[in-house]
Amino acid sequence: MVTMRFKCPSCGEIASFSGGPGEELVVTCPSCMLSGKIRFPEDQEASYAIEVSHLKKVYGDLIAVNDISFKVRKGEVFAFLGPNGAGKTTTVEIIESIREPTAGTVTLLGEDTRTGFNKVKERISILPQEFHSFERFTVRETLEYFSYLYQKRADIEGIIAAMDLESHEKMLYRTLSGGLKQRVGVALSLVNDPDIVFLDEPTTGLDPKARREVWQVIANLRAQGKTVFLTTHYMEEAEFLADHIAIIHKGRIIAEGSLDHLITKYGQGSVLRIQGCTSPDAIAILKEQGYDAHSEGNGSLAVTITYKDRVLDVLSTLRHAAVDYESIEIRRSNLEEVFLTLTGAKLLEAEA
Amino acid sequence: MNLRIVGMDVFFSIKSWWRSRGTVFWSLLFPIMLILIFGAIFSGTGSSSYSVYVQDHDHSTMSSQLLDIMNKTGVLKITMVNDSENATAYIKANNIGCFLVIPEGYERSINQSFINPASRVNLTFYYDPTETGTTEVVRSVISNILQTMNMRLSQGRSIVGLSAQSTITEKFNYIDFFVPGMIGFTIMQQAIYGSIERNTKYRKDGILRKLLTTPITRSEWILAKMLFMLFLSFLTTTIAILVGVLVWGLKVNITPLMILTVVSSSFLFSGIGMIIGRFVKEEETADMAAGAISFPMMFLAGTFFPLALMPAFLQTVAQVLPLYYVNEALRNSMIYMNQTLAITNAAIVLVFAVVFFVAGVVLTKWRED
Repeated sequence: MVTMRFKCPSCGEIASFSGGPGEELVVTCPSCMLSGKIRFPEDQEASYAIEVSHLKKVYGDLIAVNDISFKVRKGEVFAFLGPNGAGKTTTVEIIESIREPTAGTVTLLGEDTRTGFNKVKERISILPQEFHSFERFTVRETLEYFSYLYQKRADIEGIIAAMDLESHEKMLYRTLSGGLKQRVGVALSLVNDPDIVFLDEPTTGLDPKARREVWQVIANLRAQGKTVFLTTHYMEEAEFLADHIAIIHKGRIIAEGSLDHLITKYGQGSVLRIQGCTSPDAIAILKEQGYDAHSEGNGSLAVTITYKDRVLDVLSTLRHAAVDYESIEIRRSNLEEVFLTLTGAKLLEAEA
Repeated sequence: MNLRIVGMDVFFSIKSWWRSRGTVFWSLLFPIMLILIFGAIFSGTGSSSYSVYVQDHDHSTMSSQLLDIMNKTGVLKITMVNDSENATAYIKANNIGCFLVIPEGYERSINQSFINPASRVNLTFYYDPTETGTTEVVRSVISNILQTMNMRLSQGRSIVGLSAQSTITEKFNYIDFFVPGMIGFTIMQQAIYGSIERNTKYRKDGILRKLLTTPITRSEWILAKMLFMLFLSFLTTTIAILVGVLVWGLKVNITPLMILTVVSSSFLFSGIGMIIGRFVKEEETADMAAGAISFPMMFLAGTFFPLALMPAFLQTVAQVLPLYYVNEALRNSMIYMNQTLAITNAAIVLVFAVVFFVAGVVLTKWRED
């Protein structure tokens, strides 16, 4: 069974459906309710945009990247998450053919980059880490310059509009704020209408507002069906944007999967907070049923739950015991906890 | 090779360059200012070196007396040259600024003048017109000595005259020397610093990494940048010549060798810039390295002052500096019209250009280690 993302031809909504290789399904768009047939690819391998196999990079005694393997599906946002110095940029630059690997292979859109990188240049685009474009080009000229380098060119007007750069298009690049520069950088990634967009730490150094703007841009890329390879050391960025997350630590991938999968597998469980509970027996009743519950004072109880569907079980237990409460609040486990579980350190503490 | 991409890159480079007031100033206005300032300073003043070479064909008492008087002025430092030497060949071979020839029959002519008032004798003074200050002083001192002699011998009748002859066929002045040097120097500055910006700043800013993943090839990029560099070099050359002609009455010959030298030097100094950019990764350090290379060249390669004014060991140092040959090739191909020297120096510049540019291209990498 394969899960794939499909873009609605009517409203552009992206929805995920599951099916077997070669299987045809009649599906309905959850947004505009348009019905139509979709077909899953025969060859499952063809659905991967990036395939990395046993990648290794050694500098003298330092192993920067240590036997990394993963696959990125077409149309997904893949977050490569890890502290500074973990090997993220080295890995992404090997994938982009900017660096030579010591060992291992990379396949982009079915082409081995050792021999076929030139063939895929037209179909990929990158935003390098800490990228600054030509200082004395205007925003429009910057886009036009990079656009001219490709055979296949996207509509510059459309990109300027989509990136909300109309009011800045005549400004010189060097006069732009950090957030705008990053937005232009991401816009540059679209000038050749690529299939894969690599964004290396696109929000580092930005203020929260500018970061949100870039996130919106990345969300739009996903909506357009682009495969986005996002390198980041911000947990919330990966949580907000990624379909699939790989966590790298000290040159190795220590966990990989969807956000739900990672939290379920490595998280310390979610906490269900029950407020306005006046019954003195509530904690004892829950503990009797095997729950990890404790009082937080002022009629508030905290119950650790492992799976989200057990929230109903907890509430059902209380209802059967005739315990009243006013409200509930669920605090989910997050990637920070996942990282803590996996490495024994918080992400920022783990920076090399 | 995609020429559309190359052309587009050149167009954007020119546009970007024009927007940088600082770059335009250093590329165009700074050379113009130097031409105007140095032209004004050196158009009428001298220098502090008063060395003169003397060839005495007469070997007489009177010629010895003349040399003695010249020595006693304390202003002239006399070096005797064997009279078997061919004067013009000797001057050329030894790069001599002032050379006095006392002809055979000097004493006899003076003696005869007491019997025959029409009898007279001329000393020949060879001078390098590019060393205006020095040669004017020496010539003036010798003329004064001869005038005093004439006054004592005949109450002012001209018995001993001084015939001045340029070591170069035309009459040149300092600005003729300076403008080609300024062109060479400006090309050097633009090419070295331009290359460094492309190889360090663009690397730091991620532009080279970005370009590496686009369809533009390294050859197309380098070709585009060299075409832009040639545009700047010819623009600088044209403006320097125009200012020289309009303000200082410079007489210039546009020759194929001059054009070849401008092209070769653009490649030569771009190559040097690429090599610096390859080994010095930090932008600021690279700028300092470029300064460390270009500034000594500027002063030691005969850009502003003739090499003859410098100590002998510095003159030897100059002979290994590429800018020296660029300056000499430009001077001889566009001003002095000495074909032999023009060809020799242009050929040396060409060889330097091939070596440094090829090394630069080979060493320049877009990929990271």
